[in-house]
Amino acid sequence: MSAIPTSQAGDKTTGDLKGPVAGFGLAAAITILFNTALAWVKDAYEPLNAYMASLTGHHWRTHGLVDVVVFFVLGYLFTYRNFHINGSRLAALLAAASVVAGGGLAVWFLLV
Amino acid sequence: MSDIILFAHPTFGVLGILAAVWVFVEALNASEANRSRIRLAAFVVAGCIVLAAVLGGYWYTVFYGHEKAIILKGPWPWAHNLVMETKEHLFFIPLILALYLPIAAAGNLAKNGGARIVVMVVAGFIVLNGLAIEGAGAVINYGVKVAFVHTGVVGAE
Repeated sequence: MSAIPTSQAGDKTTGDLKGPVAGFGLAAAITILFNTALAWVKDAYEPLNAYMASLTGHHWRTHGLVDVVVFFVLGYLFTYRNFHINGSRLAALLAAASVVAGGGLAVWFLLV
Repeated sequence: MSDIILFAHPTFGVLGILAAVWVFVEALNASEANRSRIRLAAFVVAGCIVLAAVLGGYWYTVFYGHEKAIILKGPWPWAHNLVMETKEHLFFIPLILALYLPIAAAGNLAKNGGARIVVMVVAGFIVLNGLAIEGAGAVINYGVKVAFVHTGVVGAE
């Protein structure tokens, strides 16, 4: 992270974001949605749940580690590919991802 | 030892929520004067939420099985089937947001309106998710209690 100057954080007049703020922001939104999708799939497909449990001793541990790895890998990928986005748009994306992912988990476990 | 871990988990969760409120308020009033404080608060959020995850995760994977069995035999099996199942996966949302917060708060929020909005939204959702998760923990705890009451264990009431 220290290799990326803070001046890449963005621009006041346009609200545009670039550098790690934009790259890791998009990565966070994707990871949050991925987290819910993985919860659905492993809950519906027991062999995946068992495989994830066999990797670390518990499916939840593997799930968390995969989420963190996805977040950092995507974040570095988007950052170094110079992804940029408007700040308001990224904030809306993160909010929407959080609401959809959280609601998706609750509805899934309510119905299943 | 398991009780210490069990109580430390929501404690760090609450501290993380409070620190996220701190970040939100500092970002709302972002200036050159509080720039370093915003960064510090963002790292405090990340540290507390990671600790809550590690402690809660350890307790959940090592000790929770016994309580799960009790809840499922009691009158509130949904305290596990719905609430715990949702909580254990919902927790990863504020965890990811907390890991992102120091990155989002690294720049000068007083000069970057876009980053400021992102920091406030991220901190806000850490608070909302955190409160929901704290509430879920209370419901799960009560699921064990009503199971004991239901089975007539002396002292459970």
